[in-house]
Amino acid sequence: MAIQKILFASLLICSLIQSIHGAEKLRLFKELDKGALDVTTKPSREGPGVVLDAGKDTLNITWTLSSIGSKREAEFKIIKVKLCYAPPSQVDRPWRKTHDELFKDKTCPHKIIAKPYDKTLQSTTWTLERDIPTGTYFVRAYAVDAIGHEVAYGQSTDDAKKTNLFSVQAISGRHASLDIASICFSVFSVVALVVFFVNEKRKAKIEQSK
Amino acid sequence: MAHNHSNEDGSIGTSLHGVTAREQVFSFSVQEDVPSSQAVRTNDPTAKFALPVDSEHRAKVFKPLSFAKPHMRAFHLGWISFFTCFISTFAAAPLVPVIRDNLDLTKTDIGNAGVASVSGAIFSRLAMGAVCDLLGARYGTAFSLMLTAPAVFSMSFVADAGSYLAVRFMIGFCLATFVSCQYWTSVMFTGKIIGLVNGCAGGWGDMGGGVTQLLMPMVFHVIKLTGATPFTAWRFAFFIPGILQIVMGILVLTLGQDLPDGNLSTLQKSGQVSKDKFSKVFWFAVKNYRTWILFMLYGFSMGVELTINNVISGYFYDRFNLTLHTAGIIAASFGMANFFARPFGGYASDVAARLFGMRGRLWILWILQTVGALFCIWLGRASSLPIAILAMMLFSMGTQAACGALFGVAPFVSRRSLGLISGLTGAGGNFGSGVTQLLFFSSSRFSTAEGLSLMGVMAVVCSLPVAFIHFPQWGSMFLRPSQDGEKSKEEHYYGAEWTEEEKSLGLHEGSIKFAENSRSERGRKAMLADIPTPETGSLAHV
Repeated sequence: MAIQKILFASLLICSLIQSIHGAEKLRLFKELDKGALDVTTKPSREGPGVVLDAGKDTLNITWTLSSIGSKREAEFKIIKVKLCYAPPSQVDRPWRKTHDELFKDKTCPHKIIAKPYDKTLQSTTWTLERDIPTGTYFVRAYAVDAIGHEVAYGQSTDDAKKTNLFSVQAISGRHASLDIASICFSVFSVVALVVFFVNEKRKAKIEQSK
Repeated sequence: MAHNHSNEDGSIGTSLHGVTAREQVFSFSVQEDVPSSQAVRTNDPTAKFALPVDSEHRAKVFKPLSFAKPHMRAFHLGWISFFTCFISTFAAAPLVPVIRDNLDLTKTDIGNAGVASVSGAIFSRLAMGAVCDLLGARYGTAFSLMLTAPAVFSMSFVADAGSYLAVRFMIGFCLATFVSCQYWTSVMFTGKIIGLVNGCAGGWGDMGGGVTQLLMPMVFHVIKLTGATPFTAWRFAFFIPGILQIVMGILVLTLGQDLPDGNLSTLQKSGQVSKDKFSKVFWFAVKNYRTWILFMLYGFSMGVELTINNVISGYFYDRFNLTLHTAGIIAASFGMANFFARPFGGYASDVAARLFGMRGRLWILWILQTVGALFCIWLGRASSLPIAILAMMLFSMGTQAACGALFGVAPFVSRRSLGLISGLTGAGGNFGSGVTQLLFFSSSRFSTAEGLSLMGVMAVVCSLPVAFIHFPQWGSMFLRPSQDGEKSKEEHYYGAEWTEEEKSLGLHEGSIKFAENSRSERGRKAMLADIPTPETGSLAHV
């Protein structure tokens, strides 16, 4: 019963929070000013078939106001640069799906950097973090206004997201120490069972022969 | 095959005995002259037990807060072992958002691994009956726990979709502890209370599927705080269920006892006992059409529950943009409802039987399962978080109560093949889970939300066959009991499982006694019968 009460209370709280947040959700990607920023990426290793290593390789990213510019340039306060999945990495993976509704859009979950907006050329060198999954990526920079809403964007690839993509290979996450610990525990488990079993059988034989 | 302590020692594989808890205590029979099948006599006739016991030294009272040797200790070791196995089997589910990034899994890979995680138990549950017969409940449990622990630890080695699926498949074998747990409580507790005992053991064990949704994200978070990257932290998190399994295995072997009087290997079997033939038991189970209807029904109550354990955390995480923690809490509530919902289902079945007999049980089963499934449809369609949580809670209560109610019916389907039918029904639960995961959650054809609604629709449709379960002596949902003088007797139904030759040898006596006691399934009319019907609980379930 206690669980039901807690759940009911959280239900009420959730619905309150929801009603407060309600208005924000319907901001759409297509309403943003396209191509407002020129974004370039230069991986530390380049060439045909090169796959970057997460945790080791770096990206040199630059961004600046593009020649097309934006009507809403005056609102630009912060530039948020993000790592985004290219279409090949979205296949059969609905949790990475591109939605027009910005709140639901899952294309660009990985934050690279956020810097205040400056009309001059900005750049950063970013090491691919160790929790980046294996996949094909591009970089997108959102121009965000004072209240945190996206206003415009620019990306390192074209509209169809086909050119200038780069591949990343994730870390395996495996560790020699983990492997060894795992083997030790497994062996202990089986051996302990066998020891108990053999011991009891032996005791039973002794009992029987008495 | 239920353990009738008067004259049957199940041969290998028959004795999922007591799995349903319909063991009868006969008020006037003290079977001293007939050798007991499970080798119970010790040299010390004044064996002292903490709880009052019957002639077989089975406890007559259930005291959940006690750890007294050997009865309550067996109960607690049994259900906690089963609980631990549920934790291990579904440990991956709340961590899937991290695992899928580490191993570059697709939705198909994740779905297939989910199917694999419940498939292993189909076979291991059937085999566990034999293992318990041969080695006793302690070793049955310990084997299950300690031989699958290496599979849990081997998550450290997993590098791609194939190895992930293989490991989840192997971990899934440990769900056989369900059978060993029920077997153990049935030798420790007398027939009158075994329904409640098994109901608690089963329901509390099932809670593990809920607790794991909370435990694993918490463990993962703590490990990350020590500085590990996410892709290493989740692997390390699996050490917790693995170590729990080893600890429980050792506790079971050191603190537990197979039988009220001692351990199986140190007691000697006395006298000649007749074993029932496995082939006969198997044949009568398989030939009875009701077995297969129950197989399908359980596939869409317990099966749905197992599927939800695998998908619900990821569903809330993805659809409502929650953190791993919050999604885990919500998902956990689903499994935790088992604490009350399942025993309630069995209780509701009992109450319905008191009023309307077996027909009441069948209606209750249908109502609970259909209502649960309707709420599942609603869950898939809910687009706001509070509504989704509400739908999920109502869905969980309906479906889990249906699991309990089903085992109010199962014990009456057969007396001779009782244990095997329970084992088959249990396997049906896993089978149903495999099917629903394969159909609705393993491809990008349906979104998870659509999959949930479609699964609910399928569950509604597949709950309809309960209308076809007809007992000549008690009727069915829509038909009255047979008017024929012969067929309307319980003895005729249960006696039909024995050949004339076997009847002449008196092998069917247990069934006849059971038939007499089952007259209570006629409903209120049974009160008018002059044979006193003992109160029987029916919260036994797999």
